[in-house]
Amino acid sequence: MESTFKIYINGKALETSAGKTVLDVAREHDIYIPTLCHHPRTGKAGKCRACLVEVEGLRGLKESCALEVRDGMSVKTHTEQIQEVRKMIVELLLSNGEHNCIACEKNGHCELQDMAYHLGIERPGYLLDYERITLDESSEGIIRDANKCIECGRCIKSCNNNVMHEVLDFGWRSDHMRVICDDDKPMGESTCVQCGECVQVCPVGALTFRYAKGKGPYWELDKTKVICTYCGVGCSIDMFTKDNKFVYSLGTEENWQDQTNKGMLCVKGRFGFDFLNREDRLDTPLIRKNGKLEKAGWDEALDLVASRFTDIKAEHGPGSIGFFTSARISNEENYALMRFARGVVGTNNIDHCARL
Amino acid sequence: MNDNIKSRIQQIMGRYPRKESALLPALMLVQKENGNNLTKELVAEVADVIGVSLSRAFGVATYYSMFNVSRPVGKYHLQVDTNIPATIMGAVEIFNYLSDKLGIKHGETTPDGLFTLSKVECLASCGTCPVIQVNERYYELMTKEKVDMLIDSLRKGIMPDLPVEYNWGTLCNVLLKNRGVENAKSIAVYKQLGGYKTLTKALKMSPEEIIQAVKDSQLRGRGGAGFPTGIKWGFVPKNTGKPVYLICNADEGEPGTFKDRQILAYDPHLLLEGMIISAHALGCKQAFIYIRGEFGWIAEILEKAIDEAKQDGQLNDLSIVVHRGAGSYVCGEETALIESLEGKRGLPRMKPPFPAIEGLYGCPTIVNNVETLASIPYIVEHGADAFKQWGSKAGYGFKLFGVSGAVNKPGAYECPMGISFDELIEMAGGYKGKIKGVIIGGLSVPIVTPEELKKGPGLKLDYESPAEYGTSLGSGGVMVIGEEFTMPEIAARTIQFYHHESCGQCTPCRLGSTMMTQLLEKIADGNGQEGDIERVLWLCNNIRGNTLCPTGEAYAHPVITMVTKFRDEFEAMIPKKA
Ligand SMILES: Cc1cc2nc3c(=O)[nH]c(=O)nc-3n(C[C@H](O)[C@H](O)[C@H](O)COP(=O)(O)O)c2cc1C
Ligand code: SF4
Ligand code: SF4
Ligand code: FES
Ligand code: FES
Repeated sequence: MESTFKIYINGKALETSAGKTVLDVAREHDIYIPTLCHHPRTGKAGKCRACLVEVEGLRGLKESCALEVRDGMSVKTHTEQIQEVRKMIVELLLSNGEHNCIACEKNGHCELQDMAYHLGIERPGYLLDYERITLDESSEGIIRDANKCIECGRCIKSCNNNVMHEVLDFGWRSDHMRVICDDDKPMGESTCVQCGECVQVCPVGALTFRYAKGKGPYWELDKTKVICTYCGVGCSIDMFTKDNKFVYSLGTEENWQDQTNKGMLCVKGRFGFDFLNREDRLDTPLIRKNGKLEKAGWDEALDLVASRFTDIKAEHGPGSIGFFTSARISNEENYALMRFARGVVGTNNIDHCARL
Repeated sequence: MNDNIKSRIQQIMGRYPRKESALLPALMLVQKENGNNLTKELVAEVADVIGVSLSRAFGVATYYSMFNVSRPVGKYHLQVDTNIPATIMGAVEIFNYLSDKLGIKHGETTPDGLFTLSKVECLASCGTCPVIQVNERYYELMTKEKVDMLIDSLRKGIMPDLPVEYNWGTLCNVLLKNRGVENAKSIAVYKQLGGYKTLTKALKMSPEEIIQAVKDSQLRGRGGAGFPTGIKWGFVPKNTGKPVYLICNADEGEPGTFKDRQILAYDPHLLLEGMIISAHALGCKQAFIYIRGEFGWIAEILEKAIDEAKQDGQLNDLSIVVHRGAGSYVCGEETALIESLEGKRGLPRMKPPFPAIEGLYGCPTIVNNVETLASIPYIVEHGADAFKQWGSKAGYGFKLFGVSGAVNKPGAYECPMGISFDELIEMAGGYKGKIKGVIIGGLSVPIVTPEELKKGPGLKLDYESPAEYGTSLGSGGVMVIGEEFTMPEIAARTIQFYHHESCGQCTPCRLGSTMMTQLLEKIADGNGQEGDIERVLWLCNNIRGNTLCPTGEAYAHPVITMVTKFRDEFEAMIPKKA
């Protein structure tokens, strides 16, 4: 059994176990430590310095996102010194670039906005001379606004280590540093496959979904956990909808380790659901009656199919029936249909489309 | 890219345990073959040959200042160093003279495509500043007359030889023992002078015995941090099944520091002997010398020395690869150096893990400064006690210092640890004129005023005395600032350097140094506003100790002392409201 011990955060004793970070424990107990460069799926980075905390017996402030807990460790998360450092970080980020929240897609779930809110910073005290970077609207699904980028590197790590498309990296250095696609191409001309993983991990509004623009602020959207219907992998999706209309999909972040897709999605799961919003989408089976397709219930439709199969088999033999399955259903469903074709209907006529 | 270059890149790849490490040398090679310019097409081809993603190669090519990507340079790239030691030795006048003479400003190229002029950072030549780097070659101690000669000659297509006289001296006769000997860099001369005898002795000793001797000597790292070398070596885990790497840090990036090159260029076999002994002690079969990119000719000297040592059977089963950086101060920091050696952008890593446990390619790695490693043969040959004849418990042994700025004989001096500051200045010919302040350990340590120097028992150059004067020994790069300079201009130029060099990955350093630069430039130009000084100090105080690597501390601390100790000068530059 895992041995547990106590650590103290702001004087409160908390039970925990080895291998966790101070940030993990704080989050489990709803203690807010701001973070910008850490993401559960890209790990610690140590870049933003927002998560610094004070640890008894250790010199200087430490990154809570990287610091592993030790028995009896005593941590303070909100001393005056820490808050002052955090204020500086937010001031610096807000003073550089363009951080106008009003019409930003990330308004309401932006990690920088949260941090500024908690520190009570409405506008920075000093503005840096800053050269505006033109929007990158070259790609099908993603809008890149480098003026909002805080150089946390999460998109880069996820592109290279999670989905492994190796499109993104940082170019240049110091305050000229920015995210590049290939050798600084517009995203639409680069080797980007539009999986959208980078958008999902971006803490701010620097990367957003083109199709979600203006469809409604975060707090007006409903989140529903669904399984992607595109292939047998069965990726778990958090589908965001407004008034029952699809807005965008994210790979499910909650318990991402337990999902087959580990929080990631491919271009289809990400962007392929706009058909849900079409007026002419089928939502019941249709049965042709007197030459016209008419809405029907599932029982009626399945009964009809079963009786017609039985008739056709009796009249023309099982060889006259064939089955065609799909990559959009699971292995188990494909297997079941194979058993049905061979064992119940008695035909070997079964094939598969093998692509989406 | 032709097949010849391709096969040369493949050859470079073969030198490293992992092929990605060839990225920097490959880009350097391709740039050189393309008239000192790197295009996107060439970067893509290099990425392809080495087998890394295009974004990674382009990220690397734009990180290092020596790669001229999408910023074409002329046939001769005149790079005038204007860092603090250079400025206090008159480099700004040289830059302006060149600029007027050629009719171009920083970053511009003459219409005939012959000259590009750039202001660059410290070139580790501070004792012989003003220095102009022309393509790969240094022209030191430049005067207006020498600039005329240089340009005349370059116009004729000839890289001239211009005379330089170096000042140097030694009180200990160890590290600079061979500095004045003709061609000591050849193995024949080095051996005549007794070289490689210690190695024979060391190979008969067990690794533990050597490590113990180094521990007993209490040798502390000469790269700036002063960590005890023997203790660091002791951290290397045993029997991990992974190789152990030794890296010699020859990045020599700290402004004011030009000491390691005295060994590298004039006594390379001393360093090699130290490295071979250290490798034996550490169980290392593959070592690297990471040398700053601008030291191209010194890299060649080292490569030749390694070849000689190999021919002479001194290397045994050790391989030593010289790896050139490509223009980045932060790459002197050991974890950034390791990243750079892995063919990446020079971004410092979070610690722990420390390199001794998880360093190059995730394997146990010891990074030591040139001077540290060159001190090893003496300790092994003569024993720890002999080493401790110099200095005190505040630091033992011999130490190289570089003195630049307002002294009569700027140069490199080898002194006993704990030498008094006054004595060192005496060796360097004494002060030239009236002094505004001194920086004793490279630009990253706090400035000391002449008044402070007069107080107390007298400043000694070791690991303890400087603390009493609110500063530290650092790398031993001493800069003497003459009275004619104002502190706001010194502070502004200081922060410009760190801002230029910030790797950019952590927020306080990337944007803090940006804001500090904009504020201090404004103040130095007389356009400061009320509150600007406080804002600079607020930034320093919150940056200090809170960045990912020590770079933030390295500028926050000195700038605080410049601003607070010379506050009047800053206040005076801020126009008062009517
Ligand atoms: C920003 C920065 C730059 C550094 N530059 C150098 C350098 O140019 N040369 C060097 O030997 N050490 C440099 N160091 C120190 C190295 O990180 C490391 O401590 C040293 O190489 C260890 O060798 P030593 O123990 O022999 O001194 C630098 C450190 C920092 C933080
Ligand atoms: S685009 Fe977003 S995720 Fe990427 S570095 Fe910028 S802020 Fe971070
Ligand atoms: S302090 Fe941060 S940004 Fe600056 S050099 Fe170190 S890691 Fe890079
Ligand atoms: S979240 Fe820990 S340093 Fe950014
Ligand atoms: S070489 Fe000129 S400042 Fe160091």
